[in-house]
Amino acid sequence: MTATPSPSLHALLLLSDSALPLGSFAFSSGLESFLAHNKTRHSTSSSKTRAFETFLEHSLANVASTALPYVLAAYHDDPTLDRLEELDNDFDASTPCTVARRASTTQGRALLAIWERALSTSVSPSPDSQAAAKVLSAFATASKTSKPDVYGLQINAHFPPLFGLTCRALALSEAETAYLFLLNHAKALLSAGVRASVLGPYQSQAVLASARLQECIKTCIKLQDGRQVEDASVTAPVMDLWMGRHELLYSRIFNS
Amino acid sequence: MSNPFLTATAVPGHGIIHLALLPPSTPRLKTTSYQYPLKLISPAPVRTENEPYHLVHTVYLLTYGGGLVAGDTIDLTVILEPTTRLILLTQGSTKLFKSPGPHVLSKQCTTMNVAPDSALCYLPDPVQPFEHSCFEQSQTYNITMPSADRQRTGSLCVLDWVCNGRQANGENWSFYRYGSRNEIYLTLPEGKRKLLLRDNVLLDQSDAHGSIVSRMHDLAVFGTLILFGPLFHSLGQLFMAEFKALPRIGGRKWDSGSESEDDEVDAAIVRRAGRHREESAHGVLC
Repeated sequence: MTATPSPSLHALLLLSDSALPLGSFAFSSGLESFLAHNKTRHSTSSSKTRAFETFLEHSLANVASTALPYVLAAYHDDPTLDRLEELDNDFDASTPCTVARRASTTQGRALLAIWERALSTSVSPSPDSQAAAKVLSAFATASKTSKPDVYGLQINAHFPPLFGLTCRALALSEAETAYLFLLNHAKALLSAGVRASVLGPYQSQAVLASARLQECIKTCIKLQDGRQVEDASVTAPVMDLWMGRHELLYSRIFNS
Repeated sequence: MSNPFLTATAVPGHGIIHLALLPPSTPRLKTTSYQYPLKLISPAPVRTENEPYHLVHTVYLLTYGGGLVAGDTIDLTVILEPTTRLILLTQGSTKLFKSPGPHVLSKQCTTMNVAPDSALCYLPDPVQPFEHSCFEQSQTYNITMPSADRQRTGSLCVLDWVCNGRQANGENWSFYRYGSRNEIYLTLPEGKRKLLLRDNVLLDQSDAHGSIVSRMHDLAVFGTLILFGPLFHSLGQLFMAEFKALPRIGGRKWDSGSESEDDEVDAAIVRRAGRHREESAHGVLC
């Protein structure tokens, strides 16, 4: 009998599964809009594929610099409801693009629903995970009865901080959490690319398996290492532009 | 009582603009102090036609030589008391001159406190980073929440924009580093505060994801316009309506040629159609 796999492996596979009902695949993170804006420039399929790969790298870099600090802050800060609500508010404040905000809160609420109905029963017994689980459940309850506070602001349930805390409740390591977050984003983009017929399913798998993508994700994580949420920043400003202008597409296959 | 003499502890680049309210309703520039390389100029205040009760002050922000040399640091504090109106302008783009290396940073840090019922309009010319320049700026706006029911929150109209450098010299996003951060906090009178908006852009040549040019996708200028508060509500609505009315991307215009038949088109629609034509002729975002 070989050695038993690490206890977090099961949770890691669950969270990386594309069957996890988060609804990430309903969004294209601006890809569809990017393609529509650059139709004339990328007419051949090979130039389209190259444009897609550039888009993928820029999108990953931007998600890493804007959202990853929030994932990791929720992961390693002391889990309290106040801190989670603060991260939620600050992420909302840092996402001026309405389309991006809607995509993030939709997935955040979906994650909360999955948490309440499925994952909360299989929390790891360590006190660390138990504390994180308690805060997540409290947040899920608070988000349902949220009233505007003295400033007139409400709970939004943004995805990145909730994802970070969920990973902690399921006893994933910090490195796994960061890698998983970015890989899931890459997967969602690649799936969108296949459905927008930029690249075929085998090509998409090839990109996903490539050393280049792995290197890109690792570089993104390394660049954000130790970055506080206050310093989370937009590094590819056009991403917001593509995402925001997705609403203006005459016909579209993704949500905005 | 304020000290009429120049304080001896003046720090380079520091400036304060304090627009105070002389009871019952006269705003007055109580302080405009500045130190090299910053210079502040304030022309006589004016009254506008549609708001004759309010005296509007204007202050020009200048830097010697029209920009910032590597290592310059500007630290400006702006205080608006209730019901005052202030316009901050520049007299040309802020040039960012080249730096000996990515380690020498020039900085500009602005903190603005906006009291209830007051209004701030900060419309600088674009920042123009030269090749090999290195710059970071941060603007923090503290908006005090009104305590009495009669009061309304302060209003804010802020533009922060940057261009790709000296195009005539072939520069195209060729600086080492450019960072700009705009933060708006809602503050309670007792000192607690909550973040309402953080717009933080950082473009750094050393980020290993390709050059800055490739990340900007042929844009020559990029900016953020922030509108907040009752005074700019209708302006905000106008922008939102204009965005809604933008032509659909990839849509067909089935009703072409209807303009001549329709006599009752109002001026706004004509203006909008003209702008759309101009935008598509110049290839703006399409």
